[in-house]
Amino acid sequence: MTALASTGPRPTTTWNTTRGPLGQSASMAARSLASIKHYPAQLVEFFMIPLMILLSITFFMGGQMMGSWQDFLQYAGPTIIAMGLFFAITSTGMGLYGDIKEGVFDRLTAMPVSRFALLAGRVAADMVKHAWALLVVGAVAFAIGYRAEGGAAGTAAAAGALLLFLFAVSWTMALVGLTAKSEEQIQTWMISLLMPLAYTSTIFVEKDTLPGPVQWWAQVNPMTALADTMRMFLGGGSPGAETLALLAWCAAILAVFVPLSLRAYRRKLTN
Amino acid sequence: MKHAIEVRGLVKSFGEVRALDGVTLAAAPGTVLGVLGPNGAGKTTAVRVLSTLTSPDAGTARVLGHDVAAEARKVRERIGLTGQYAGLDPNLSGEQNLVLIARLLGASRRQARQRAHELIERFDLAHAATRAAAKYSGGMRRRLDLAASIVRRPEVLFLDEPTTGLDPQSRGGLWEIVRELVAEGTTVLLTTQYLEEADQLAHAIAVIDHGRVIASGTPSELKQTVGGLVLRLSPTRPEAAEQLVQLAEWAAGASARREDGAVVVPVAHAGEAQAVMARIGQAGVDLAGFGLHEPTLDEVFLSLTGHRTETDHQQKTKELTA
Ligand SMILES: Nc1ncnc2c1ncn2[C@@H]1O[C@H](COP(=O)(O)OP(=O)(O)O)[C@@H](O)[C@H]1O
Ligand SMILES: [Mg+2]
Repeated sequence: MTALASTGPRPTTTWNTTRGPLGQSASMAARSLASIKHYPAQLVEFFMIPLMILLSITFFMGGQMMGSWQDFLQYAGPTIIAMGLFFAITSTGMGLYGDIKEGVFDRLTAMPVSRFALLAGRVAADMVKHAWALLVVGAVAFAIGYRAEGGAAGTAAAAGALLLFLFAVSWTMALVGLTAKSEEQIQTWMISLLMPLAYTSTIFVEKDTLPGPVQWWAQVNPMTALADTMRMFLGGGSPGAETLALLAWCAAILAVFVPLSLRAYRRKLTN
Repeated sequence: MKHAIEVRGLVKSFGEVRALDGVTLAAAPGTVLGVLGPNGAGKTTAVRVLSTLTSPDAGTARVLGHDVAAEARKVRERIGLTGQYAGLDPNLSGEQNLVLIARLLGASRRQARQRAHELIERFDLAHAATRAAAKYSGGMRRRLDLAASIVRRPEVLFLDEPTTGLDPQSRGGLWEIVRELVAEGTTVLLTTQYLEEADQLAHAIAVIDHGRVIASGTPSELKQTVGGLVLRLSPTRPEAAEQLVQLAEWAAGASARREDGAVVVPVAHAGEAQAVMARIGQAGVDLAGFGLHEPTLDEVFLSLTGHRTETDHQQKTKELTA
């Protein structure tokens, strides 16, 4: 141990880099992503589920549903990719569930750090993972023949819409992760939240094919707004009511779930 | 400001359990306050309240003049915390852990790296700086944990059982660091289950049990209450035990007790033990053995409360019912 000669007054540290909640979130996000360096296999794990969902549905069901799997891919490929990515949002819940069990969050909570940043860092890190998965699975879809009429710009806009929606729903999983009693609960919540939403939306089917009462719901369903917005951008259209509906839904979900998550976090730590 | 840490009548319950049942403590700036108590005494709860992690049900706690509940943010600006369980990210290397904390506290990238290097050198972790914290040994993890809590040189540092589970050498190393920090003017509140640790480091000690302070004072005051040393005498013939108790009490001027066939008596210092031994020799009582040692936490508790520490007590009860 290097002996310190100083027995004089306490040295002071003056750090004044102004790094608000966003800068702190970035530090926290980098921290959550650091485990990739130690376990690089994660890079593959991030896209395995959406990739397998895309390939299996396209090749094994696509032909039966639409005559040829190529037609099916062209019609449903993007929303099936979206569906596959939804499964990954549990990682936000799992991550925060693990974080608050670890001592490191005690230390961070006892520091003058924005509480929002502690949660947002995890969400932001997951967005990076989702973007990576989307990039890989999207590239595979392109490789097997998917083409967007909207071209590169339309594809980028559709990807942006999907990531925005994932960002909003990740905060519902943040709340679940902060209040869950076990990890299984998080999985259960994700499935019971997303599956009914997906099947009553235009993610897989056209609205007219749904039974009467469900049609009304399908109209307001946030996933319908997402699916319609993605199709609009990929088809080279220009944004309209569906895009507004998607933005409104994302804003509403964030307005409700960010404060609830922060409250759950405070409760958890001051039990 | 007279006290760096000032706690009055602190109460915190978890359901039925009163983890803190009216705790009052104070630490002068630049001193070490040792909070000594067995498992379940309420040490961790007290540290969590003082470091703004848990809100108290009643009572007040001030750190550097700021109320921990009403001015939590101001308190967080000026404290450091090393919890009972390592507050590290196991996936990050030692260096990354320190850089993360410095960055969150407002250091630039360069400043953060520089501070991390300083601490890594000072805490003898240079050989493991880039290794994941999960792969550190217990002693290394403890050092890194302590380093993480002083990244921005806190004015008040909370250490919750910093050496529990460490080998004597690592423990000595940690004590050295704590002494250095105190020499620099840091106020330290340290909890421990070891009387020796409190004796080594603390200027003042508060003994807590069941969420209450049952004794407090300087280490020497405390030892006077419980006897500075403990003399243990084992008679050759069990029948002689009663006579030994009387002799020992007479010579030491303190009450002796019988324990597993031996007689145990607190003495102020070695000279007094010698006097007791001389008296026994004069009386012609044969001893199979004897020993002189520092009182253990258990013995401190026995003399302060008349009961043993909870775990021991439970074990004894189990043995009896088994
Ligand atoms: N979060 C909690 N929920 C329920 N009981 C708790 C909690 N934290 C502590 N306790 C209880 O409060 C008492 C004091 O615990 P603690 O402060 O951890 O003691 P120590 O640190 O001295 O071992 C114990 O009986 C413990 O079981
Ligand atoms: Mg404890």
